[in-house]
Amino acid sequence: MLPFIIRRFFFLIFVLFGVSVLIFGILMTFSPERRAAAYVTTPQQAKDIPKIIKQFGLDDPFYHQYFRWIKEVAKGNLGWSLVAARPVGEAFWRYFPVTLEMNLFAAPIVIFFGIWLGSVSGIHRDTWVDHSTRIFAIIGWSLPTFLFALILLMVFYGYFQAFSPGVLSDELTLFIIDNPDKFTPYTGMYTIDGILNGRLDIALDGLHHLVLPIITYVIVVVALNMRVMRSGIIEELSKDYVLTARAKGADNKTVNFKHARRNALLPVVTVAGQLVALSMEGSVSVEVVYNRHGIGWWLAESATQLDMPVLMCICLFMGVVFVITNLILDIMYAVIDPRIRLN
Amino acid sequence: MTKLVQTIDLITNFYTYEGVVRALDKVNLTIEHGTTFGLVGESGCGKSVTVRSLLRIIQAPGKVEDGEVWFFQNAQQDTEGIELLSQNEKYMQALRGDSISMIFQEPNAALNPIMSIGDQVSESFLFHRKQEMCRQISDTLYSPDCQIFLPVKKLLQPLYRLAAKNTGAWLLKFLSRVPVFKYWDRLLKREALRRSVDIIAKLGISNAEEIVKSYPHNLSGGMKQRIVIAIALACHPVLLIADEATSNLDVTIQAQILELLRELRQKEISSVLLITHDLGVVAETCDRVGVMYAGQLCEVANVKDLFGNPKHPYTQALLHSVPRLSQKGPLQSIEGSVPNLVAPPRGCRFHPRCPHCKEICRKSFPMLVEIGNHHFVACYLWTNLSRD
Repeated sequence: MLPFIIRRFFFLIFVLFGVSVLIFGILMTFSPERRAAAYVTTPQQAKDIPKIIKQFGLDDPFYHQYFRWIKEVAKGNLGWSLVAARPVGEAFWRYFPVTLEMNLFAAPIVIFFGIWLGSVSGIHRDTWVDHSTRIFAIIGWSLPTFLFALILLMVFYGYFQAFSPGVLSDELTLFIIDNPDKFTPYTGMYTIDGILNGRLDIALDGLHHLVLPIITYVIVVVALNMRVMRSGIIEELSKDYVLTARAKGADNKTVNFKHARRNALLPVVTVAGQLVALSMEGSVSVEVVYNRHGIGWWLAESATQLDMPVLMCICLFMGVVFVITNLILDIMYAVIDPRIRLN
Repeated sequence: MTKLVQTIDLITNFYTYEGVVRALDKVNLTIEHGTTFGLVGESGCGKSVTVRSLLRIIQAPGKVEDGEVWFFQNAQQDTEGIELLSQNEKYMQALRGDSISMIFQEPNAALNPIMSIGDQVSESFLFHRKQEMCRQISDTLYSPDCQIFLPVKKLLQPLYRLAAKNTGAWLLKFLSRVPVFKYWDRLLKREALRRSVDIIAKLGISNAEEIVKSYPHNLSGGMKQRIVIAIALACHPVLLIADEATSNLDVTIQAQILELLRELRQKEISSVLLITHDLGVVAETCDRVGVMYAGQLCEVANVKDLFGNPKHPYTQALLHSVPRLSQKGPLQSIEGSVPNLVAPPRGCRFHPRCPHCKEICRKSFPMLVEIGNHHFVACYLWTNLSRD
């Protein structure tokens, strides 16, 4: 087990190298002028562009620029984020908790809801239960996220004045800024910090602001999980061992849940793990529409401004997340399925 | 000879997208106590569907449409039969694996890949012998030489006494959902596992203690088939249905499994229903044989009569197509192919391939009639009676 984990982390170095070369290479297709233009804000500064190119070596060969970047990253300097107006490393820890907070609440809902709905609809195949969950899933899956988010925002915030966008209401944000000694941001997640600081009102307010983003995210994403679970259950229920179990005298509950569902879980674990990993990069639409300044929002803003250090940082981060997720998934496989040995 | 299972005009259909597949068309089958009955026929002729209909484990989109299945558990009182198709699902669950059990064609697929062998065999005992096992454990718990830590013993004693009286008591169901307390049934599971080890050892597997801890992928095909047999035999069934139990095994293992079945039939179980397409196996192991074609039973006879003096043209053709060592010239085959059961031929379903086809064969189906010495044939060569 331990050698397996160590080997996987060794593997991580190669993944990060590959990902960074690829992204760096794609960004290099922009001309040095375009990349320099990101640092120009007024027309007067436009004449400085050749100077900027010279100063930062933007027209050096690809590998020069790449190794210069690697050298800086190795020193712990990820660069300067224009969007956040602070170093990338610092900005990352500012935005990441917002995304993580939403995932902490949304991921369990997506996983358990998906598995539950999928099993129910697979077991009651071709009945009204199955049809209605499938229709619900297809609508959720095919509706554009931003549109769905806007509709929810319009209905709940626009008409009922409930669930305002943002991360925290204005009074509480001001209170936190004014009283830095009374509220310590341990994690950067208001729901958890609120409890740690003994301020339940802040925790509840944070949760209140999470309701709509979570609903949007869950409805959009749960469909995939549900469909995989449904087809898994249907496939497993037609297998011979289910017949053996029935011939043994097993009741429907035992057949469905003890035999079929555990076997059907394997592909679901893969899908759910990938979904959670993917959502670590933040759902761009959800974060932009609900004005939550998380990784997704940061990524969108940085991409439009060609903020290279930020893009590189987020790509590296996603590389790490995916390697770790796959490691966890492999360990979970070995726990669920005795046929799989880790070595 | 007393009846054990009798099906009367059993009809099973499958509702597929291509149309209604008429898999069984009025099958009348009688299996007696203390015999080995062989059911033969080509693939897709409805052998497996017959026994699955009998046990009511037909999978969707199949459905038993009509007919009766009578089950006479006790050899002495054959008047007191039970009609299985009219019983509720709970009754059938109690019956399956207890009085009638079944072993399957493909041992590699018949075991759940992610459950240990011990758990899978134990399930049989936990489904059917729970009360008895609880009573046994309760007796040991109250006996003076019980070695369990005293407070635990005091806690377990009333629980097992309750379970011995009523296995479905709400208190036990509630406890099974509470953390820590849900392990009250550890002794029960251990007892079931102990019985599993016994039954596996009885089937000629030497290291049964280790086998119960392993998983299906650790075992060979023959070993897996023994485990499937162990599951079926766990509760001493009256009838064991072997659905192509040896078809996918190599000949050595096949011989071992058949030998095992023969031994078991003498010692443990009353009757065996052997489904196969291998006529050699039938000739060697069965007392009576039924021949099926396209969802209908065409001939039933004692094994010697059937092989020595086949009456139905299909049986004759089937026996002719078995290769023999003394044979000269090419092997004979049956002309034509098996009919599509979505639109089966009118009348006798064999008539398009039958060399003796008469006018009446195209119109109606002949009745299954006895032509002497328990030999039944459904063919207009031997009777004038129509079924419908």
